[in-house]
Amino acid sequence: MRRAYFPALLLAAYAGVPLVLGGNAYVMSLIDAALVIGGIALAWALLGNLGGMVSFGHSAFVGVGGYASALLTAKAGLPVPAGLLLGGVGAVLAAIVMLPVLRLRGPYFALAILAYAHIFRILATEWTAVTGGAAGVSGVPPLPVIAGIDFGGKTGAYFVILTIVCVFAWIYARVSASHYGLALRAMHDSEDATQVLGVNSTLLKAAMLLLSAFMTGVVGAFNAHYIGFLEPDYAFAGLWVTLPIVAAIFGGYRTIAGPLLGAVVVYLLDQLVFKTLISSGHQLILGALLVAMIVFSPRGLLPLLTRGRKSDAGT
Amino acid sequence: MSDLILQALYSGVLAGGSYALIALGLALVFGTMRVINLAHGELVLLAAYIGYTVESRLGWSPVAAIPFALVVVCAAAACVYGVVSRIRVDREINSLIATFGIGVILTNAILLVWSADVRSTSSAWLQEAVVMGPLYGMRGELVFFGVSLALMGALWWWLAKSWYGRAVRAVASNRDAAQLMGIPPGRTELVSFLVAGVLAACAGVALYSVGVIQPALGGALTVKAFIITVLAGVGSIPGVLLGAVLLGVAEALTVTLASSALQELAGMGLFLLVLFVLPNGLFGAVRRRG
Repeated sequence: MRRAYFPALLLAAYAGVPLVLGGNAYVMSLIDAALVIGGIALAWALLGNLGGMVSFGHSAFVGVGGYASALLTAKAGLPVPAGLLLGGVGAVLAAIVMLPVLRLRGPYFALAILAYAHIFRILATEWTAVTGGAAGVSGVPPLPVIAGIDFGGKTGAYFVILTIVCVFAWIYARVSASHYGLALRAMHDSEDATQVLGVNSTLLKAAMLLLSAFMTGVVGAFNAHYIGFLEPDYAFAGLWVTLPIVAAIFGGYRTIAGPLLGAVVVYLLDQLVFKTLISSGHQLILGALLVAMIVFSPRGLLPLLTRGRKSDAGT
Repeated sequence: MSDLILQALYSGVLAGGSYALIALGLALVFGTMRVINLAHGELVLLAAYIGYTVESRLGWSPVAAIPFALVVVCAAAACVYGVVSRIRVDREINSLIATFGIGVILTNAILLVWSADVRSTSSAWLQEAVVMGPLYGMRGELVFFGVSLALMGALWWWLAKSWYGRAVRAVASNRDAAQLMGIPPGRTELVSFLVAGVLAACAGVALYSVGVIQPALGGALTVKAFIITVLAGVGSIPGVLLGAVLLGVAEALTVTLASSALQELAGMGLFLLVLFVLPNGLFGAVRRRG
């Protein structure tokens, strides 16, 4: 990517957006939610791009992360920042339970992980002693006030989720650039050939699944504290899978910026346009968008837009 | 207690009939195209809602909805084929995402047309209890179990004897060789989608006739069909029927012995067990997954 733009982009995101839009709580809440989707989309794309696995079960990580953090802070009294990290750890534990599915490939993997997502939602609903059952967890503590900045507010939360997403994007870039990234890309071409060269492909895939789960769990935990309430149907909603997938495909899931930009565009379109067109079934348009993208431009819009400029960018 | 367990076994076997139809449709398309149709459960659900509409609007028995369901579901299945066949790059991953998208479209279309309410049949004839010794079953369950068995027999005959059925098997085992033998692979794949649509239409009407339906059910149906194919191993109709009966029995036993809320977990437990212990399925020969 064109590195010269990065500092300017970061400055615009950290200073420009809050200065220009910070006064409008509704717009800020939309942007916060879009970044939550963006974070999940990034984690999903990492698994899809580097690990070569399509997951329809990321709602499990969102839900487990949210529940872990919410329960640990609300019932065990841990501080919220620790809760965010432990939400990620909780999602990693959920992913460890899923590790047997790595024996499966392609469609079998995708469906097995979908099945897992069903299990976790049932557990959250039925394990009432811990999760509060279908009634949910209320009184999830908000993000704290540190040095006079209320991170629980719309603008404060924006800084938190923006930082989370930026750190994740940085980790993604580092993994992708490392020799693990090289091995993972090689696995995408031929897993057998890569194994012959002495790469432990199952270990690498497991690592990608755990990393993706951790990222998703942290974002899920952030969202739980940001919303302040959790119930199984919300925490494990199919929307946590649909929107990130549409966003990642829309932006181009083989890039790092694609899922993030895709999330902002798709979420804002969904909330501002689709929802006004069809109020109850607006995901229908998201599904249609997804199908259209796969048929007409499966690599996403970002590569399509940058394709013409590739020669003068010197990549 | 033993009466209860016997009853659970019986109900499970009856439920297995329509489960097998759903799983066979999924497996048939997977066989010819190497594509798991993630919208398959939604196709089944679409047929179920057509059963509801025919019953509530026209006042006919849901059984009479099967012709309508056949037309609509086969048209929808042909559309799914139209989308999937256009995917050129990264076919395996992209077809999953595309059919997932179609599933989202269908779920929300169902939500828009039929609203989120839970529906079930009001036909007294279908719900009437049929007593056989100590065993109780609804007439609808028995009727559709028979229909399922007949359809499975017809499917077996079709795959074994008819030209297109043999073409489907040929394309499934080696697409390129089949093409060289003069079998048009595209048309054969379309036929496999249409046959899967027929099975889904009948399974959907059966689902509505003996149980409750709601728009969010589609994903769970796809997962169930998938669990059955994992249990059975792809490739044999009796295997799929046995896998489906096993899933039905496991669910019914869970409902009887534990709680109805844990019904879905039973299937999952079975699935994980097979995954750990018998990765080739209960009846599977040596084969690769994906």
